[in-house]
Amino acid sequence: MAVIRDVMPAFDLLQPSSVADAQRLLAQHGRDAWVMAGGLDSFDWLKDRIKKPKVVVDLSGIDELRGVRSTSDGGVEIGAMTTLTEVVNNPIIKQKFGLLSQGAELAASPQIRNQGTIGGNVSQDARCHYYRAGWPCYRAGGNICYADTPTGRNREHAILDADRCVAVNPSDSAPALIALDAKFVIRTSKGERVVDAEDYFIGPDIDITRLNILRPGDLLTAIRIPSAFAGAQFYFEKIRDRNVWDFALMNVASAMLVSGGNIDRVRVAVNGAAARPLRLKAVEDAVRGKPKNAATGEMAGRLAVQGAVPLQFNAYKIPLMRNLVKRAVAGVEVSTRAS
Amino acid sequence: MPNTVDTNKSAQPVYGGKNKLIGKDYPTADLYAKVTGKAKYAEDYRAEGMLFCRLLLSPLPHARVKHLDLSAALAMPGVKGILTADELPAPADSLTDNGTVIRANKLGERGLTNEPLYQGEPILAVAAVDELTAVEAIEKIHIEFERLPFAIDPLDTLRPGGPNPRVGGNIWHRPPAALMKPGERPAPPPPIEIKELKWTEADFAEAKQGRMPMGHVPEDPANSWSYGDVETGFKNAALVLDETFVTPDTSHQCLEPRSTMAYWQNGKVHVYTGTQSMIQTVPAVARWLNIDPSNVVLVSEYTGGGFGSKGTAAISLIIPALLSKKCNAPVMMRISREEEHFIGRARPSLTGRMKVGFSKEGRIVALDMFSIINNGPYDAVGDAPTSGRIVSLLYQPQAMRFRGLTILTNTPPRGAQSAPGGMQGISLMEPILAKAARKLGLDQVAIRRINAPEGKPPFGAANSQGKRAYATSSFIKQALDRGAEKFNWNERVARNPKRIGTKVRGVGVSMSCYSGGSTGFDGLTLIKPDGRICFQSGIGNLGTESVIDVHRVTAEILGVPWEKCDVCWGSNSKNVAWSCVSGGSQTTHAMTRAAHAVGMEAKLRLQEIAAKTLGGKPEDYEVANERVFRKGGGAGLTLAQAAQKAIQLGGIYDGHESNPDVNRYTKASIKALAGQGLVVSARDKYPRDGSTYSFVASFAEVEVDVETGKYHLLDFLAYADVGSVLHPKTLGGQVMGRSVLGMGHAIGQKWVMDPAYGAMLSRRFHHSKPPTILDIPARMEWAALDIPDPETPVGSRGIGEPPVGGGCSAILNALSDAVGDEVFRRAPVTPDTILAALEAGRPMQHPLMAHI
Amino acid sequence: MADMAGTKKTEHTKAVSRRKFIQGVIAGGAGASSATYLFRASGVVSGAGARERLITLNVNGQQRRVDVMKQETLAMTLRYKLGLTGTKIGCDRAECGACTVLIDDVPRYSCSTLTHTVRNAKIVTVEGLAAADGTLHPVQQGILEEQGFQCAFCMSGFIMATTGFLKTNPNPTRAELAHGISGNLCRCQDYDKILTAMMRGAELMRGARHA
Repeated sequence: MAVIRDVMPAFDLLQPSSVADAQRLLAQHGRDAWVMAGGLDSFDWLKDRIKKPKVVVDLSGIDELRGVRSTSDGGVEIGAMTTLTEVVNNPIIKQKFGLLSQGAELAASPQIRNQGTIGGNVSQDARCHYYRAGWPCYRAGGNICYADTPTGRNREHAILDADRCVAVNPSDSAPALIALDAKFVIRTSKGERVVDAEDYFIGPDIDITRLNILRPGDLLTAIRIPSAFAGAQFYFEKIRDRNVWDFALMNVASAMLVSGGNIDRVRVAVNGAAARPLRLKAVEDAVRGKPKNAATGEMAGRLAVQGAVPLQFNAYKIPLMRNLVKRAVAGVEVSTRAS
Repeated sequence: MPNTVDTNKSAQPVYGGKNKLIGKDYPTADLYAKVTGKAKYAEDYRAEGMLFCRLLLSPLPHARVKHLDLSAALAMPGVKGILTADELPAPADSLTDNGTVIRANKLGERGLTNEPLYQGEPILAVAAVDELTAVEAIEKIHIEFERLPFAIDPLDTLRPGGPNPRVGGNIWHRPPAALMKPGERPAPPPPIEIKELKWTEADFAEAKQGRMPMGHVPEDPANSWSYGDVETGFKNAALVLDETFVTPDTSHQCLEPRSTMAYWQNGKVHVYTGTQSMIQTVPAVARWLNIDPSNVVLVSEYTGGGFGSKGTAAISLIIPALLSKKCNAPVMMRISREEEHFIGRARPSLTGRMKVGFSKEGRIVALDMFSIINNGPYDAVGDAPTSGRIVSLLYQPQAMRFRGLTILTNTPPRGAQSAPGGMQGISLMEPILAKAARKLGLDQVAIRRINAPEGKPPFGAANSQGKRAYATSSFIKQALDRGAEKFNWNERVARNPKRIGTKVRGVGVSMSCYSGGSTGFDGLTLIKPDGRICFQSGIGNLGTESVIDVHRVTAEILGVPWEKCDVCWGSNSKNVAWSCVSGGSQTTHAMTRAAHAVGMEAKLRLQEIAAKTLGGKPEDYEVANERVFRKGGGAGLTLAQAAQKAIQLGGIYDGHESNPDVNRYTKASIKALAGQGLVVSARDKYPRDGSTYSFVASFAEVEVDVETGKYHLLDFLAYADVGSVLHPKTLGGQVMGRSVLGMGHAIGQKWVMDPAYGAMLSRRFHHSKPPTILDIPARMEWAALDIPDPETPVGSRGIGEPPVGGGCSAILNALSDAVGDEVFRRAPVTPDTILAALEAGRPMQHPLMAHI
Repeated sequence: MADMAGTKKTEHTKAVSRRKFIQGVIAGGAGASSATYLFRASGVVSGAGARERLITLNVNGQQRRVDVMKQETLAMTLRYKLGLTGTKIGCDRAECGACTVLIDDVPRYSCSTLTHTVRNAKIVTVEGLAAADGTLHPVQQGILEEQGFQCAFCMSGFIMATTGFLKTNPNPTRAELAHGISGNLCRCQDYDKILTAMMRGAELMRGARHA
């Protein structure tokens, strides 16, 4: 069969108006169904004709999945179908959890943020160019990794926690949510489940074919950010080739409560280093109680990259991660130049 | 730093002097259609019963189709026809205007193939009632391949025992023409062949150290030449640098994919497409289809970008035309972005090595340059020889040796891209010049100034008579001086400290040049009985606006207000003049000359009509303010009256008799226009002493974060030496736009390919990384010297290409000013390269390892 | 025609010629299309929650009846069903912005929006900006005054992105505007002149509002 791209296969479009309806449709169609949020990731798979579902279940008509609500504990709950633009512009998120606004605003492009959702952004698939081009790699169910060879192109790939597959997670909002200690609300056929942000994501050692814990039929319905880090000191930085519409070579997010110059509570996460956004628990433990200064930052950076294994073309990610984590802990010296 | 605090644009100089039109801004006539969405590009046309066509592309970089089973596809309802390589017309020889036979390259690209030579090469095309049917039909095609050896890197195929990208070898070879016997007509040159070139293990010894190996180069005057005493130059030099540098392969990626719709009617093929060159595309289509040019109707009103990739005809025009004939229905071939990456052409990478000897004052006393071009599998691009020619012109080395090789590979076909070869040659030289200035303790502007061309600067090797070619003029020293002043170069260089926190600033300057014009084309103008004047433009409309701008010259000469003028363009059915190919930055120069010629001719005809009508001699009359009238005032005719009179006079005046000087395409248009008014045509026969080149001095400042390798472009200035300014706003767009195109090569644009599979991995914009609006310098400015070129009547030269090399190299030089000479050894320079080198304290990039 | 979606695959993919189908559309009173393209039935039997194929779209202030396949993108519907070819397809992958239209005043990539998902939305394309008397929208006028753009294939997308952005920030700095319209590529790389033209458009728009 010859391969051809760029025309979506015919499918039936199902547009439920409630989560319950969506779940019923997903149960009914099983493996024939594809769940679509904003659609930006979906359309790539469909237009490349690598995925040919019989039905597409479009979540955009489900009002209960949209919007940002304050919670009684002083946090917020964000419906999974809330667009990234709504997340970026939401005054409560901006004021209390600006880390997420920063991360979300660095994703993709304005039009994509106007359509792409927070649920979609954290649930999107890996962008390894071999995998996305339809090569039969481990992640696609095959028995080979094309990127992890002496000549494979792996500048964008993982330095940590690789297991056969060396793809990385592409999300910009995910590390911010991990740093904010967010909880992900999942509706399964058995009911609702709430998991810590960092536990939503899985590496190839757990399941090489997916980046998160969602199973067919499951829906991510909301993301809750507790008040713990409301108004804390935040740091977010994304390093990418182009200044818009580019995936992170690496990004870092930290949330920190400082008292008397010492780090009181802290959470740090990076993405672009592994198949899942990494919460750097060892770094957090090491810097807790320490003064927020350059020395602590240096120490944090060195600790962060322990165990990192470079591939042929991505050794730069080790100093990049070290320096980004350093900044996420100690802050960055601000340029005082006039212009 | 007042120069960067102020975000207001500084005022542009006033261009055009006392002219009414030339050098003045105005809204071009095509803008209204563009802003309202009414402008029709190729894919916007519809025809009754239109079919859609999709391509089956080769998954392999080099293979032979062993077995093809179309039966399941053909059996599908809605499938109307499948075109395979076996049905293509034979490549046709062609005749030039002076009767010379150009032999078709039988080994050249034909559109479809049974021996794909690159991954993504079209093998067959399916026409169906809709795209979904065509796609599903392609998925039903059973195809078996025999895999053949492949090479995507030119050095791999040069290695001893290395794979050949084509059966028979890796380079083109033109056998010498047969010796002419006295009294016989010269035979057409023999057809071009493929030969094998392999270097030795000894040649490759240096490659391990990251230095480009330099082996044998076949005898070829364009690719192996020298002048002066290079060896003595090196011996006497105060500083000798020997550097390897590699530029990226970059796809043109016009925003409009090269979609085309075609149908046949009454024996003529109608082709709706986007092309850079309108009238010149007509014979090209005829040649591809092996039909007579009179049977081609071409429609190309708006073209969504070309940059060299839509020169004339191409496979994207030919496949729908042939399928339409086969299916007896209109066929639309929409080209997807991924297909555009494969068939849409690309600039070839240059793997280059340069040994440069400098005097202690920074003068280049000797230069040894070796360029290897990664050509792809088909016809050779001219980038290798051009890289040498441009370097010899722009830096005026006292002695120079050039060697160039154009190596075939199994990668998508290359084509000319804005400043082909020139951009790469300049990007090879400029970082060396920057390094030399630092080593010699010289100012970066000063070292360029001392080497800059001026007067009628020579370039290339001497011909068989011992003479070297030269440019018509160069005023780049003035551009450097004025640019340095406008950019506050000295203040920026003296900035202290260069580093604050983790941010380091760097400034760079580059010279740049490229060819800026050709000669010998036609102007055709119709003055209508209602007094309006229409310019019959055969120029392509690719957005530079030269299709409209150049005709302001005729209006200026005739003293006609622009509101009374129309430009007729977009199809050969509109009776247009023979015009240059809009490539090589020819158009402004070539077609202002033609516009000038036709303006002078119109003046003469008007004077003759006045004399015939009102008595006296033609020279008693003058033309101004829409009238021809007796000098010193008195009797006269309006243009409307003169046009009416022309129709009465007939003959040469209303087009019933043709101007013998003009091209046959112009003659056909004159015939069609005959009787509609005063029909004036002229061929540009103005003399020109020298070859036309335009020059730019480019300045840039960048800021690098040494902890991440990420950098930002802060400021940029391009100061252009392009002769007289024709239209400031479109000129500015070209200067800045082409500069940014060059910057793309410095900051990120590239191909990513897997060498083990010969596969293109960068199929999407976020893989190949063309610059976005947030990647350009925060502040950009341009200016032009506005010094007329002495060898053309209007003084204007082309500008499309000259800024490209400067855009790239000014950024490269600013980067090395910030982080040092040893950080990068190839372009683009991305954060990973910078960070890895700064971390290790030594270059970490292997220059000869490509496509990462 | 409304029964199209429910009909079985075999009846449609096999024998229905395009011409017959078009006649059917016209006879059925649904002759909204100026051009015909991709009229084939989706070939999938409707399931629960499925929508009919014949839908009404609000485009440039008009209600347009149109037959749309389930997998059809808005860009294709606009260009091939409604004759609105000012919206361009540059990449079809949400990367270049040439297809940008306003959906309920929000700039979106129409190449990556399923038409069926915007049935109830207000869609504006570049053809819907100028007044009925031909008076240009200020953003269009700004381009005319500054000779913005070169080949202009990206132009309608940039115009729509700018128009949408200015609704949220009518008085942007040059840098803010650049960020606001950064989802659009120009391969002529005329970004600097585009920004000048769009800043002029914003200025004209503010003037028009005050007038």
